[in-house]
Amino acid sequence: MKTIVGLETEYGALLSGPSQGMRELFRQEEMFQKVRDHVFYEQRMGIIDQHQRAYDEPPGNGGFLLNGGRLYIDMGHVEYATPECHTLLDLVRADRGGDQLLQDAVNEMGLGDEISFIKNNIDHQTLATFGSHENYLVSRDFPFTERGMDPLVAFLVTRQIFTGSGRVGASYVNDSLISLASDRSPVTFQISQRADYIVNKFYQWVQMNRSIVNTRDEPLSDPVQYRRMHLLLGDSNMSEFATALKFGTTKIAMDLIEDGKAPRIGVLDPVRACRSISHDMSMEWKVQDLEGDVLSAVNVQELFLEAAIREFSGRDEDTDWVIQEWGTLLDDLSKKDPVLVSDRLDWAAKFVMINQFREAEKVSWTDPWLESLDLEYHNIDPEKGLFRILEEEGRHRRLLPQSLLETGKNCPPSFTRAEGRSIAVNRILENPDLSYIIQWFGIQVNQGEILYMLEPLKTYRKEVGAYFSDLSFPPARF
Amino acid sequence: MEQPMGVEFSPDRQVVPGSPKKDVQKEGPVPKKPDVHKGTDRLMDRMKKVDPNQSERYRQRTGE
Repeated sequence: MKTIVGLETEYGALLSGPSQGMRELFRQEEMFQKVRDHVFYEQRMGIIDQHQRAYDEPPGNGGFLLNGGRLYIDMGHVEYATPECHTLLDLVRADRGGDQLLQDAVNEMGLGDEISFIKNNIDHQTLATFGSHENYLVSRDFPFTERGMDPLVAFLVTRQIFTGSGRVGASYVNDSLISLASDRSPVTFQISQRADYIVNKFYQWVQMNRSIVNTRDEPLSDPVQYRRMHLLLGDSNMSEFATALKFGTTKIAMDLIEDGKAPRIGVLDPVRACRSISHDMSMEWKVQDLEGDVLSAVNVQELFLEAAIREFSGRDEDTDWVIQEWGTLLDDLSKKDPVLVSDRLDWAAKFVMINQFREAEKVSWTDPWLESLDLEYHNIDPEKGLFRILEEEGRHRRLLPQSLLETGKNCPPSFTRAEGRSIAVNRILENPDLSYIIQWFGIQVNQGEILYMLEPLKTYRKEVGAYFSDLSFPPARF
Repeated sequence: MEQPMGVEFSPDRQVVPGSPKKDVQKEGPVPKKPDVHKGTDRLMDRMKKVDPNQSERYRQRTGE
């Protein structure tokens, strides 16, 4: 796929010891700062920001990494942003690189017994949610209108049947505003972590009133040519397969829309549909199209798959892989048995695992132990995490060979400007007296000329090399 | 261009963008069908060791 994708992950943290109530949040933040400082100052895996990036990002809050990505503290979470990725495998590798970066730091600091990083999107006690944000580079010509976005909304609402990470229980965010008499059925398990928190179809904010499509216009590249589609509704996936398929299918859906080849479909009341699909463990997943006809989420996905086969078969290896696996998966999902897809999808793997435990231990779905297991599924520590056992034992499909997995935290993806940024980070690490500003779209050193990097699909390796060669410090070791 | 010290660029395989499928095949066969019974003991052992009350301690700030 000739495109750029990227993923931002806000990690949760589980601290050992007795709970200290709200004081726990301060403990977490102190721990985050220690880990961040270790990554930048001891491990020298990147360079800390010297400038104020934004009102809530003072100098020292975070920085860019050797892999071209970014680590920082945002809204009480450690957040990792992958570098710009050109292939699905690069995206998966960069995503796992973030996990490895944090876990290596924890281990090296000897904090393994004190803190666990949890790659999920909710806690079970409050209404807190935190994000997994997907980024897709699209053309400025993308039909970014309410009418033009109907197919994208239909796609996004129904894709959770394979992108959801699953969770025990439910959250009713609107109950915090007004308590409604409830005749709703109890939700013991649902397929998505974020569905309960999506309350709008379109909106520009990212912390409140989360929407199916976030409309913030911040391309971080040439604004004349590009738009960055920024999606908040997805879950943090542990599964490499689910991560790759999520990005692959979503990019294909966007390409179909941009080319005017997408199925002409919209979904009635998509916010409600988002929640009802997530809560429906019968796997019927019924939605209504704009004419009021009832169809299933699998049917909607099949419409997009058929269009993808028609328009993009043979386009490139990633596209062909997506088309093949998408089709197989939809066939399996239509059989309505989570076991059949538990080797590829997080929600199904978690459901099967917890259900087996529940039956073996004879505990009910309301037992808080199951919430604890839900969390532990997302623990990134291979010595503790439940998902990691599924991977290690071959019960869940992996995409990354071990040799590539090891490179994610310090190896930039190919064919993108992350390569040039990575060279710049390395140069600055070698010359600590430099002053610098690094942004996604450019670099500036010693308050000199700005090297703009507005084309994400260009590596800028030569330009960055020349830029540093022109500076007055010992010759670069190219 | 020689790569700078400390930076690892992707190997040349990515001159042609790879795909998940391609690399999985290099690494060897992967399970196509789930085997829910395989390795259950190790997983169950780890699940039993999870503190039943840890979700009570897990309180996060709302993020984005």
